[in-house]
Amino acid sequence: MPIKLIKFILSVAVAGSIFSCSPKNISTNYYYENEKVLDSIEESYKKLSSHHPFTVGFTARDFKTITLELITDTLTYMYEFAVNEPRLADTLTKFHLNAPNVIGLIRQMQSIRCTWIKNFYYYVDERKDSMIFMSIKPVALKRPFAYAKYYVLSYFPQPQYFDREGRLLDKRRLRTLRKINGEIFRRINSKVCYTISGNFR
Amino acid sequence: MLFWGILFPILCSASVFQQNDPVPELTSTRQEAIAYMDKIPALEPSPHWPNIKPHLFLQNIRSNIDQPISIYPGNGTNFCGYGALTYLYLKDDPLGYAKLLMQLYLDGKATTGNVILDPSPAVKNAAGMLKFKGILDIHPAEQMWFLTLAGHYKGYLNIFNRKYDPGDENRFWASCNYAKFNRMVRQLLHYKTKAKGADLMRPRMDDLYGYIEERIRTGTVVLFINNRIVHKKDHVKIKLQVPTHFIVAERISKTAEGITLVYWDYGGKTLMQLSPAFFKRIVFGITYCTKKEPDAN
Repeated sequence: MPIKLIKFILSVAVAGSIFSCSPKNISTNYYYENEKVLDSIEESYKKLSSHHPFTVGFTARDFKTITLELITDTLTYMYEFAVNEPRLADTLTKFHLNAPNVIGLIRQMQSIRCTWIKNFYYYVDERKDSMIFMSIKPVALKRPFAYAKYYVLSYFPQPQYFDREGRLLDKRRLRTLRKINGEIFRRINSKVCYTISGNFR
Repeated sequence: MLFWGILFPILCSASVFQQNDPVPELTSTRQEAIAYMDKIPALEPSPHWPNIKPHLFLQNIRSNIDQPISIYPGNGTNFCGYGALTYLYLKDDPLGYAKLLMQLYLDGKATTGNVILDPSPAVKNAAGMLKFKGILDIHPAEQMWFLTLAGHYKGYLNIFNRKYDPGDENRFWASCNYAKFNRMVRQLLHYKTKAKGADLMRPRMDDLYGYIEERIRTGTVVLFINNRIVHKKDHVKIKLQVPTHFIVAERISKTAEGITLVYWDYGGKTLMQLSPAFFKRIVFGITYCTKKEPDAN
């Protein structure tokens, strides 16, 4: 094979690995490409967790094992289950959760490699607010040794303030950037923001 | 598997935990602390702590006395060691805690035993200003207290970052190694401590569960654990085997399924089940605290 052709193939491969999987690229497109399923996960989690608070996520790389945290007034119960395990449904029922719907949510999360979902509480002017925090491990963010591996979405119940660069602000007047888990979030629409992070929660 | 679910009735059965454990004597009572705070209906803004809102400060101390469990070291900070210490403080001597924090607020410095807490101007300026840390945002008394402790007590982890700059609550400035934690407990609380383990070496013992179970029955136990593998935040396979987090062990039991541990951290109690092997993997330090002297009352 001529050396020029080898050089060309290598250059394309290197450039491809750098640009095609870059966080910038995935962040601009990912939400809109998967909007329907992402919004559906958010909607069902919001509904289910309002009856009984819980968080759920896939802590193993194979996306077959979940970590479930069931939150009561006195105690948070931490469990680990295989997705198909019958004990999962038993436990959900014992905690008065709608087991078929929660399992449906888990399967939906599994289908899109959603790693974690939880309610996140924050304070503005001494007032407690909440939003839904969701992280995804897209295949495109799979570069070895890269820090940023998770696409993180935050769903706010009300429209938020952003600066000219689309970064989430704490309050309109102060122009301070709001950080969630130490990360700066960017605008997708008035209620949904994203960031690329090294941590899924 | 790290921890696994078992049937709910087993969790709740009385046989899992011994209910008739001895109640340790306390240095002061919650009622004494409430009566002390009731004598302070309102506060003026402190010239020492320009960013602390007095009404939030009082509210925060009162709620901590009422609900020690609600102590929250903040999202993303390195305050967990100070949080565990405060939880022990509030459970044993809520009046001492209230008096010390009031002294710190009014005078800008405070003395307890042989310890003089005299926070730097940078720390005084930062208290009340910490944001995006969850409920810690509206808990200025906790902010003041954690920042003061982190500024006063230094260990080898703090060598390269000894002076507070904004954001240092998340960095090595606030980190707490095991020896530093034990030193703080000995100096600030009415406890004798016996520590097993170290920052980089797990405690050597044949029966880790038995040792902890016995100590919980007769005193207060703080565990220094590797939280990176308990509360995973990424899918990285190879993780540094170092402890990162202080928890207060409340109850422990063992069944055929494994070990059930109930512990306090971050504003609440958690029940988790884990295999003996995993339990051994995560525990790096065991601090056993017993009272120095009986209740003054």
